[in-house]
Amino acid sequence: MRILLAEDDPLLGDGLRAGLRQLGFQVDWVRDGAAAERELRAEPYAAAVLDLGLPRQDGLDVLAAIRRAGVTVPVLVLTARDAVPDRIRGLDRGADDYVVKPVDLHELGARLRALVRRSHGQPAERLEARGLVLDSTTRKVHLDGASIALSTREFDLLHVLMLHAGRVLTREQIEQRLYSWGEEVESNTVEVHVHYLRRKLGAARIRTVRGVGYQLVDDDEAA
Amino acid sequence: MTAAAPRLPSLQRRVLALVLGAVALVWLASGLFTWFDARHELDELLDGHLAQAAALLVAQQVRAVGETEGDDEDHRRVDAPSLHRYAPRVTFQVWHEGRLALRSSNAPTEPMAPPGGRFEPGFHTVALGDARWRVFAAEGAEHDVQVYVGERIEARLSILRAVLRSTLWPVAAALPLLALAIWWAVRQGLGPLRQLGRALAARDPRTLEPLAISGAPVEMRPALDALNALFGRIGELIDSERRFTADAAHELRTPLAAIRAQAQVALGEADVDARRHALRATLEGCDRAARLIEQLLMLSRLEATEGLVLQAVELAALVRQVCATLAPAAQHKEQQVALDAPLPCTVAGDEALLTVLVRNLLDNAIRYSPRQARIELRLRRDGEAVTLDIEDGGPGMAEADIARIGQRFFRVLGHDAPGSGLGWSIVQRIAAAHGATLSVGRSARLGGLSVRVRLPAAGAAPSTAHQAGAGNLAHRAS
Repeated sequence: MRILLAEDDPLLGDGLRAGLRQLGFQVDWVRDGAAAERELRAEPYAAAVLDLGLPRQDGLDVLAAIRRAGVTVPVLVLTARDAVPDRIRGLDRGADDYVVKPVDLHELGARLRALVRRSHGQPAERLEARGLVLDSTTRKVHLDGASIALSTREFDLLHVLMLHAGRVLTREQIEQRLYSWGEEVESNTVEVHVHYLRRKLGAARIRTVRGVGYQLVDDDEAA
Repeated sequence: MTAAAPRLPSLQRRVLALVLGAVALVWLASGLFTWFDARHELDELLDGHLAQAAALLVAQQVRAVGETEGDDEDHRRVDAPSLHRYAPRVTFQVWHEGRLALRSSNAPTEPMAPPGGRFEPGFHTVALGDARWRVFAAEGAEHDVQVYVGERIEARLSILRAVLRSTLWPVAAALPLLALAIWWAVRQGLGPLRQLGRALAARDPRTLEPLAISGAPVEMRPALDALNALFGRIGELIDSERRFTADAAHELRTPLAAIRAQAQVALGEADVDARRHALRATLEGCDRAARLIEQLLMLSRLEATEGLVLQAVELAALVRQVCATLAPAAQHKEQQVALDAPLPCTVAGDEALLTVLVRNLLDNAIRYSPRQARIELRLRRDGEAVTLDIEDGGPGMAEADIARIGQRFFRVLGHDAPGSGLGWSIVQRIAAAHGATLSVGRSARLGGLSVRVRLPAAGAAPSTAHQAGAGNLAHRAS
């Protein structure tokens, strides 16, 4: 799951990036408000962690700007401003969650997962499609009750596909959701991971729409 | 309250006692004056009467003596009738050639002469029986007729007492009324004081609003003004404390969050290098939090300081020492620090605080200047002032940023150099305490930030700096 981290403090940004990566997130880190707005407008992040006291543009202004621009990405505000009026203002400006520093990394991860889930209309951590169950907390996948061992990339790919079950995702869309900046993405990486996933889950699970992209099949008639 | 408890002094009682005492004293004095004045007047008047009566008797007797020549001695002892109820208070004797010719019924048969028994014209006091008499003695021209006219002194005293009574009685009778009136007046007069007491007692102890007493008398103004000034000062102190606490809590959240995140990363990290990185970052976060606390405390102490103990400080040596202390940090970034301080420059100041000021400025220059940058410090003395210039080859500051510099926790962002932005606040406070001026601009020679501190030279110390708890501050700051 690819998220944007906007934090100007070098030490905290470094720690959050490393910690969220440990939890299986792909993290892009920006250090000022203008960059945060630019990235959020341009890239399809699953969620964003936004500090409020950002240089060049305050976090609240970033929030207001992207909401005006129609960006619906879930935003978790992480700030030192703990007063109730600050919280109210943050939420009113379009924040989906408001967390006061310091925060437990696992809690932050859980909140981000919850935000992503809600933004996809999923009430629980478990995603299901025709006997295929994915738990984004434990990062476990079961097929008809049997546990399936997946690599990190395979899991992330399946997660993205299941979040958008039934919809066709282009290779670029998948790459954008899976990889953070600076990661080398071979031209056939997605194809390779899809290949492995098909071997583990059954070929019919993931349909190739030739020249367009991939689709997780979630209706019985297509099977 | 038990009887043993000491009675608190009361303004009401005090004023009442003083006014009543004064009234009583004036009353007594007027009584005394009346007594002496009336006695004098009475004596003059009655003595005049005595003398006149004596003269009449002498004149009459000289004539009468011839007519009664040869009469029986007893017949000549005329007992004058008591014509008036006051008659027993006066007496007279007429002696003719050593014999008693005429006397009043209450007169003795012995001459009413003074104690010596010899006739002596004029006034004297004699004791007859148990009473004392004022007697006027007179004699005829041939010294054969001697007349004594006497009056009971007691009679005079009773007149005097009556006069005194009529003078003093009304006042004495009015005294309780007067006391009551004074008590009431004093109570009314002290009303505003009681009103102040009530207002203070009714106040919420947490409010520091100024006390407003409508129509407070001019005597209470100083106390009221002082009280309100005190409330104001306490309010400022509390605000400053509250701000400090809020700022400290707020500002510590980010380093704490960083420490927590890095520690959690280290816990969950299997890769040795990544774990070491996270642990080092954790330590760095601790150092930053510690420095932040140090700076916050420094600032808080500076804000609580009203004045400084100014001593002669040799600024050139001080700046040189700071340069030496910070040299390793500059060398670490391969920066050149050059100090140009040709002459000793003595300023009036607090050595420990000035060290903090110079260290903050130089530390800032080192922190914000890139590697291999040049940092120049110049110390000059011109007339009344000593000028310290610190210029660097860093990015400098935009005009808008210069305007905001010194706002608490403002720092020029977009820098990786860690800092809370408190350093400049500290510099400003120290400069203000020394009566120094600070100016910030762009360095013409090095392109970065140029900071100028203008301190009054020793002997031209600012008058605002005065004795305060700054000794303690200076000690702790060192």
